Amino acid sequence: MMLTLPKKSFNLLNKKLLSLLMACMATVMSFAQAASDVIQPPQEFDPSSWNWMNILICALILLITLVIARAFDIGGLAEKITGKKIVNPHKINAIVGIVVLILGFVGVWYEMKYHGKFLLLSNSASEHGAELDSMFMWTFGFTFVVFILTEFLLFYFMIRYYYREDRKADYFFHNNKLEIVWTIVPAIVLTFLVLRGFNVWTKITQTPNDKAEEVEIFAYQFGWKARYAGEDKKLGENSFVMISGTNPLGLAVEDEADKLKATLQTEIDEIKAKLASANDSTVVWRAALNKMESTGLSNTYVSEYKALREKVLDAESGAYVRQMEKEKKRKETNIKRVDLFKSKQEIFNKAAYDDRVTTEIVLIKNKPYMFRFRARDVIHSAYMPEFRAQMNCVPGMSTVFPFTPIKTTVEARKAKGNDKFDYYLYCNKICGAAHYNMKIKITVVGSEAEYQTWLAAQAKVVAPPVEAAPATPASDSTAVLPAVAVN
Amino acid sequence: MSTSASHAADHHGHDHHHQESFISKYVFSMDHKMISKQFLITGIIMGVIGMGMSLLFRLQLAWPDEQFGILEMLLGKWAVDGKLDPNFYMGLVTSHGTIMVFYVLTAGLSGTFSNLLIPLQIGARDMASPFMNMLSYWFFFLSSVVLLVSVGVETGPASAGWTVYPPLSALEKAMPGSGLGMTLWLVAIALFIISALLGGMNYIATVLNQRTKGMSMNRMPLTIWAFLFTAVLGLLSFPVLLGASLFLIFDRSFGTSFYLSDIYLEGIGALENVGGSPVLYQHLFWFLGHPEVYIILMPALGITSEVISTNARKPIFGYTAMIISLMGISILSFIVWGHHMFITGMNPFLGSVFMILTLIIAVPSAVKAFNYLTTLWRGNLRFTPAMLFSIGLVSFFISGGLTGIYLGNAAMDIQLHDSYFVVAHFHLVMGSAAIFGMFAGIYHWFPRMYGRMMNNTLGYFHFWLTFISAYLVFFPMHFMGLAGVPRRYYQFTLMEDFSVWADVNKLITVSAIVGGFAQLLFLYNFFVSIFRGKKADQNPWLSNTLEWTSPMDVRLHGNWPGELPTVYRGPHEYSRPDRELDYFPQNEPDETAPEVFEPAVVTEAPKAEEVPAENSVFFAAIKRVFGLSR
Ligand code: HEM
Ligand SMILES: [Cu+2]
Ligand SMILES: [Cu+2]
Repeated sequence: MMLTLPKKSFNLLNKKLLSLLMACMATVMSFAQAASDVIQPPQEFDPSSWNWMNILICALILLITLVIARAFDIGGLAEKITGKKIVNPHKINAIVGIVVLILGFVGVWYEMKYHGKFLLLSNSASEHGAELDSMFMWTFGFTFVVFILTEFLLFYFMIRYYYREDRKADYFFHNNKLEIVWTIVPAIVLTFLVLRGFNVWTKITQTPNDKAEEVEIFAYQFGWKARYAGEDKKLGENSFVMISGTNPLGLAVEDEADKLKATLQTEIDEIKAKLASANDSTVVWRAALNKMESTGLSNTYVSEYKALREKVLDAESGAYVRQMEKEKKRKETNIKRVDLFKSKQEIFNKAAYDDRVTTEIVLIKNKPYMFRFRARDVIHSAYMPEFRAQMNCVPGMSTVFPFTPIKTTVEARKAKGNDKFDYYLYCNKICGAAHYNMKIKITVVGSEAEYQTWLAAQAKVVAPPVEAAPATPASDSTAVLPAVAVN
Repeated sequence: MSTSASHAADHHGHDHHHQESFISKYVFSMDHKMISKQFLITGIIMGVIGMGMSLLFRLQLAWPDEQFGILEMLLGKWAVDGKLDPNFYMGLVTSHGTIMVFYVLTAGLSGTFSNLLIPLQIGARDMASPFMNMLSYWFFFLSSVVLLVSVGVETGPASAGWTVYPPLSALEKAMPGSGLGMTLWLVAIALFIISALLGGMNYIATVLNQRTKGMSMNRMPLTIWAFLFTAVLGLLSFPVLLGASLFLIFDRSFGTSFYLSDIYLEGIGALENVGGSPVLYQHLFWFLGHPEVYIILMPALGITSEVISTNARKPIFGYTAMIISLMGISILSFIVWGHHMFITGMNPFLGSVFMILTLIIAVPSAVKAFNYLTTLWRGNLRFTPAMLFSIGLVSFFISGGLTGIYLGNAAMDIQLHDSYFVVAHFHLVMGSAAIFGMFAGIYHWFPRMYGRMMNNTLGYFHFWLTFISAYLVFFPMHFMGLAGVPRRYYQFTLMEDFSVWADVNKLITVSAIVGGFAQLLFLYNFFVSIFRGKKADQNPWLSNTLEWTSPMDVRLHGNWPGELPTVYRGPHEYSRPDRELDYFPQNEPDETAPEVFEPAVVTEAPKAEEVPAENSVFFAAIKRVFGLSR
């Protein structure tokens, strides 16, 4: 998949090597086989197909290490016999330490050189981001100095003070001045960082801005939707009880309420019918089951047989009825809740009717926004790393994050030298199997006009006369902004 | 001292010749040394499993498009065609985190060394309640079994992350792992908490009441201080997790909505739950969760203090400062939990408060790091494997601790939260540091446990390979996090922005495999040395503390034949200028100024037992692995 990669550094690490190393692990965990050719279709548990070569090589590596270890031991023995020092393990370890330290620093430097340009530490696409980046650099400055200094000292002490028989350590265990200094200095530095952080955090999260436009970001397993207010500049009311196939965001729309009630009522009636005939059904299913068993069909259609048996057992134990009743009750509650919701007349003031539910987010450069987050099922997190913005989306709770984009998509593409680049909002709170594929595109446009053109093309929630609700979740990741919007 | 004394009397008073049965001695043993080995072996097994899991999902992250026959062999339907199932990926990550945090580094580390060292280092015959101690292990064992079973159930293990946030973990329909797997997870954790509480009460009672003559609090080794604070933290915070889990059980099974509100599930419709708050769970969880990271870390720090002092042949620098910082960390750790929740929708003002408290806790941590460095300064450093692992711990503690300053800052956490930066941070400061502390403890006290030495050279190979590979695994994750790569992602191929990290992901996985390989050296060394290691001297590291005065060559439930040792000074009198030898054991009277003690309660000493000949190889091996010293 990763087509565009610079494939230079690790193409040596092919699957052979990998399966080999895995085999090392697995042999010892004693349930092992190294897949000789990993592309092969899965094999039966068949020792003759194991790649004994790999296992052998692993054993060999282990053996060599052990032999080296023994060799050192023999060195020690020789020392004992001859009475002469051949190796001083303390010195050797100290030298290894220094080498590792230097290689480590080189490694960090190389990594920065190689991947540094991908780090999001400058060129924030939002206004407050610049401040975060600057704070990061300050913190980095302090911690980097401490890091280098302390790690260096640690390894320097290793080589400077390694064990020699003729030395004796200092009997030195206390120094008030020293201890006070290194309590106070970090405290001062931290105070500085805290105050800065405090200010920035307060500024980002607690500055009211009347001019900010509210956009609702709606999270569900597994996708995102955005909702823009219509001409009334107001996002209409909503509730989870109103959510249905045709009203995915649960908006306060009168027709939808009636439709939902009707659907629920039908479902309730179906359940009632099933409940009424539960006893009869049980008998019928039991008979079918018995027949399957007696005719031997149960051996031919194993999975059907199992499913049927489960059903019969559930029915006979009463679990089936309980389940049905629970479902019925839930649906009845839902109807009551819809009624209750509907009874609040002021909610159905049609504020939601002209809202637009979209499958991508389009923002205008330099315009302050207030994102309002909702989640339908579990906690999600709206993560917009390019904008240095993130907020959890919590079911039953309304969360917000205000920010102002300051770079259009086109500008970002130019800056990154990548004309396919797009901003995305990712899900950043574990939310289920497809958590890793839950994103929505964000496009920042340069002018109000572009935005209006795009918005006009988006369907209203209740569109005169018949137009249906927004697109299905499946189209999320493939949605593209009409060409006109980008630029 | 009464409980232990009467216990010792029970066992050895009436009938000196009575032979304990195999069961009472090796299975339901009440000897703390034996129980510590049970904790250790169980911990090692869990560690191997937890690490194996991480390698499986690292394979997926490095080669998302490859098929690995071995995966299908191992996992069956969870890896059809050799490709890990996304649900099972989550299950593996969750089990890995749970196993590492609770089973390896809480029970495996604290259980092993608190049990081994508390009585031996303070001069007690056993724990305050050996029976509760035994129960503590067996609850832990049961809990481990339940957790492992949960990995194998039809619908997969709990998969909502080791923090198991509801609603994801509460709703069976939200993901398969939230079915039976999650139920078993909760049962396992409840059992685990019982075990932790039984152990913790015991540790505290023992340290406070059972110290021998002359062992005043300010003469206790830092290990004991660390275990004491750890136990207090556990005792105060684990019950909160029990409460949180209980509410979650109610929400899952009995229709309550402590944590649930306004939920619509595809295919089901609107649920009845209203009025609860998912954020409540997070508060409760992290009220344990943050102290938990110190429950993991402090024993490792205590072990490091002792090992560094002994092997630097130098008193630990700032003994009192070390205790005060431990105390400061312990207290503060209860009021910083909100730093895990800056962007959960918690009131931003609360975020500010937690930010300030969090950065205060960095100060005592910094003091500890500086004190370790100063202890090394002008020492005479003997690089035993234990010493190297302690130095490794200091290194990880610094590099991981520094990134805490970024994450504790609410403003920066907006960007860094739940990114790979966090994974890098906690694996260094809590994962690697604590594991290294555990290794240091194992290498250092192996002679005390088995009367034999581990092979040093293999130890060196183990250390350097582990040290380097741990840095190679976790350090690059900082860079990924800074580029905005989210954690708990099954693969990154669907996000073009993250594809530049494919190389790094491969590097990390290969390093992790090399690191896993290095652990084989350790396992080999550990198990072979139990049987074949060089016989240890009575005090192999020339250390000052009391555990090295209890005889190595007899099996003794009661630790010392005859009277308990008397303590004359603190534990760190190394390289005293007025002495020829560079150490001065705590129990050796001072010729110049002998201290006079009140006559102590005399407890009857246990009789040493002969080691019976054993004809069954199996039982002989069990006895060697779990047996009392020698
Ligand atoms: C063998 C070495 C280890 C490797 C290669 C490894 C790797 C990983 C990786 C890749 C993740 C997933 C990160 C994510 O997607 O969010 C993870 C999660 C985790 N690891 Fe490790 N890890 C190792 C050892 C440890 C240790 C020693 C600890 C002990 C603290 C630990 C604790 C955790 C925890 C708590 C999580 C989070 C689980 C979750 O997201 O719920 N790991 N590990
Ligand atoms: Cu999500
Ligand atoms: Cu914390």
